[in-house]
Amino acid sequence: MIAAPRRFGRTLGNAVFLVFCWAATGVALIALAAILWSLLRQGIGGLDLKVFTMSTPAPGSEGGLLNAILGSIMMCTLAMIGAVIMGVLAGTWLSEYARNSRYGSVVRFLNDVLLSAPSILVGLFVYEIIVAPTKGFSGYAGAVALALLAVPVITRTTEDVLRLQPVALREASVALGAPVWRTILAVIWKAAQGGMLTGALLAFARISGETAPLLFTSLNNQFLNLNMSQPMANLPVVIFQFALSAYDDWRRLAWTGAMLIAVSVLAVTIIARLLAREPRRS
Amino acid sequence: MSEASSAIIEAGPARTARGAALDRIFEALCFSAATLLLAALGGIIVALAIGGWPAFAKFGFHFFTTATWDPVAEVYGALGAIVGTLVSSTLALLFALPLALGVAVFLVELCPNVLRRPIGTAVELLAGIPSIVYGMWGLFVFAPWFSKYIQMPAMMAAPVGSIWETLTAGVPNGAGILSASAILAIMILPFMAATLRELLLTVPSQVRESAYGLGSTTFEVMRKVSLPYVRTGAIGAVMLGLGRALGETMAVTFIIGNAHGLPTSIFASGSTIASTIANEFAEATGEMHTASLIALGLVLFVITFAVLALARLLIGRQAHA
Amino acid sequence: MTLTAEAPETSVLTLPQDRVKIEIRGLNFFYGKKQALHDVTAGFARNAVTAMIGPSGCGKSTLLRTINRIYSLYPGQQAEGQVLIDGENVLEPRVNLASLRARVGMVFQKPTPFPMSIFDNVAYGLRLYEHLPKSELQGRVEEALQRAALWGEVKDKLKESGFSLSGGQQQRLCVARAIAVRPEILLLDEPASALDPISTARLEETISELKADYTIVIVTHNMGQAARLSDQTAFMYLGQMVEFGNTEQVFTNPVTTRARDYITGRFG
Repeated sequence: MIAAPRRFGRTLGNAVFLVFCWAATGVALIALAAILWSLLRQGIGGLDLKVFTMSTPAPGSEGGLLNAILGSIMMCTLAMIGAVIMGVLAGTWLSEYARNSRYGSVVRFLNDVLLSAPSILVGLFVYEIIVAPTKGFSGYAGAVALALLAVPVITRTTEDVLRLQPVALREASVALGAPVWRTILAVIWKAAQGGMLTGALLAFARISGETAPLLFTSLNNQFLNLNMSQPMANLPVVIFQFALSAYDDWRRLAWTGAMLIAVSVLAVTIIARLLAREPRRS
Repeated sequence: MSEASSAIIEAGPARTARGAALDRIFEALCFSAATLLLAALGGIIVALAIGGWPAFAKFGFHFFTTATWDPVAEVYGALGAIVGTLVSSTLALLFALPLALGVAVFLVELCPNVLRRPIGTAVELLAGIPSIVYGMWGLFVFAPWFSKYIQMPAMMAAPVGSIWETLTAGVPNGAGILSASAILAIMILPFMAATLRELLLTVPSQVRESAYGLGSTTFEVMRKVSLPYVRTGAIGAVMLGLGRALGETMAVTFIIGNAHGLPTSIFASGSTIASTIANEFAEATGEMHTASLIALGLVLFVITFAVLALARLLIGRQAHA
Repeated sequence: MTLTAEAPETSVLTLPQDRVKIEIRGLNFFYGKKQALHDVTAGFARNAVTAMIGPSGCGKSTLLRTINRIYSLYPGQQAEGQVLIDGENVLEPRVNLASLRARVGMVFQKPTPFPMSIFDNVAYGLRLYEHLPKSELQGRVEEALQRAALWGEVKDKLKESGFSLSGGQQQRLCVARAIAVRPEILLLDEPASALDPISTARLEETISELKADYTIVIVTHNMGQAARLSDQTAFMYLGQMVEFGNTEQVFTNPVTTRARDYITGRFG
């Protein structure tokens, strides 16, 4: 029979712990709610057609975020194209050709490190190799920086999902006489396409909100500019600039921009998770 | 292929010869992509080292021990930024770790089944919010609240002339190292919670059930069975959170106050390596300024790389993005 | 069962040369440093079903996988000796693997339909080798599905995904896929182990019908299945070919002690 005080102590300790766990979750949920609430409250006020039809204004005049939105879309799209090509190929190499090789473990390890590396340093790197030599900020440089941030995500998710495919699937194709490349393209990639899409969506969600790497690569542009070899406007840097300014209308636009980014990132994240949960048909 | 008469050793249909060539090309493509990835990482280190070299050459070891950051006099010391980075990240970790643990335990042991998925998704959404949004929210919503409910009371409660007064000195505008740490904590909380949760899920159910079967409370099972079981991975999760906090730029830049030099109170303004680079790089005055900023970048890279590599070694492949 | 004073260690029936399709001579196999097959010798008859039985890990799947060189996918795995198909050694490095695998089909333990339509699954192998006009392609696909006893069940839904079929149907789809390219040999690696009894029975029927045109080697854990289906049976143990002979004899009157013990259920 356990002595009463001891038992009381244990029960009390446990109760405190449980309350703490509930409270911790509450804190997280409250933080999320608070952030979303602020975004909506401050951002919706400035949301009107002008935001999507006019470019960023000088302080005091009318304007919107058109150039920034377009610039972000263009750079993110270009970045994703490059990142998907490189990431899928690299992930395929890690899964199909390098499962047990030493070089493969090195690449895998460093890829995971690059995944979490500070994005501002990637921006500095692209500055050094593209912006400085060509003496100009450009949308291309911005796209390269974003691509470098997306590649590790896609590499990792591609490798993970390819590894999930049963060995027998590969062997069945090879046993029919198919060459390896055909086995990968026609059978393995096809079987893994859901997972690969999820990975791409998650990478896109990640890079569409990145500010730091764009600070020294694409910089910003007050006007609508679709020429990617020139500095390009983009939502994150515009928000950065406008939010820290002293002008009310700029700040309002900053909130609207922040709301737009947050909403699209969250929407893409949710879609990606939903796709990932779709039951495999087998 | 030889022209032997055997049935099997034949040239085969033309397609298979082409197939073999395409095999080689495809493998080469995949290999190049992977190697390019490696090269990019190497390139970052090299570019940072080359760009920062002038600063290292001029200031030598003093670069790491001086807190002066004076563009006019062209004297640059990284100490302030390094201290700011380490202090804000460590504080963030101290705040976030218990909370992350609480959330992870909640999701694994305490959450009613029907709420598990929505709450899990909510935590993931918190992770997905871009850092610039955190920055804005931090500056415009959190800072005023912080100033009103935490800074002012703390400053007023500090007895005059005591150490507390020094420690809580500063302008109560809601900015500063502590505020930045709080925002950072909220940012890294979801990653650590997700990783810890996955780790806890690896504890075999028989082990947990035996502990419960002996009459343990949830707290005891956690403390004595589950957490020790995942100890290595948990440390890795902590390092992962630290790694992210170290490199975080936008959330911090808005709210840390951007003052160089060593902070003397918890409410003082400070700077981190990332915030310094973000603020000053575009308008850097002269080559030494630029070089010093890049040198700062290299320092950050080295610190982060060490922490992330350690995390990876400890967690293996469960490390989350 | 009578036992003479000294039962032999191994007993391998030698078939007349003209009846032998696959001949294994002195085969040794290594997974890295570990030797999995020891000096295996046997000859499998053409247009017959040969069953391979034995306890787990005895090497039956390993032996099967040398016949179509599927092990060549994995760098650490090595075979020494000879595996002769119609007199040609397929272990030689200069053998064209794709052509080999066009002649030797394989069906695996777990049904592995490709992520494509039923039609495309069966046509996969055909499209690798031959540029067939559409009508001929359709004809070959139908032929394969008929022989696999699946045509009736799928002829109205050829465009549907392979995954829409039941487990037993999926496995017959894999059989159809393998025979579509008209191989000479069919290797079956425990094809019914993931199926329920009814599907198993249908699959066994199909295999019986196929032996008229194919040489079939089937690895199985199910001795009843081996007894039902096969003409010859090979019993392996710890990487050795212990007993090989006509099925009836092996099951009713095994010559070696180890085979007798396994068949009567003393171990395994």
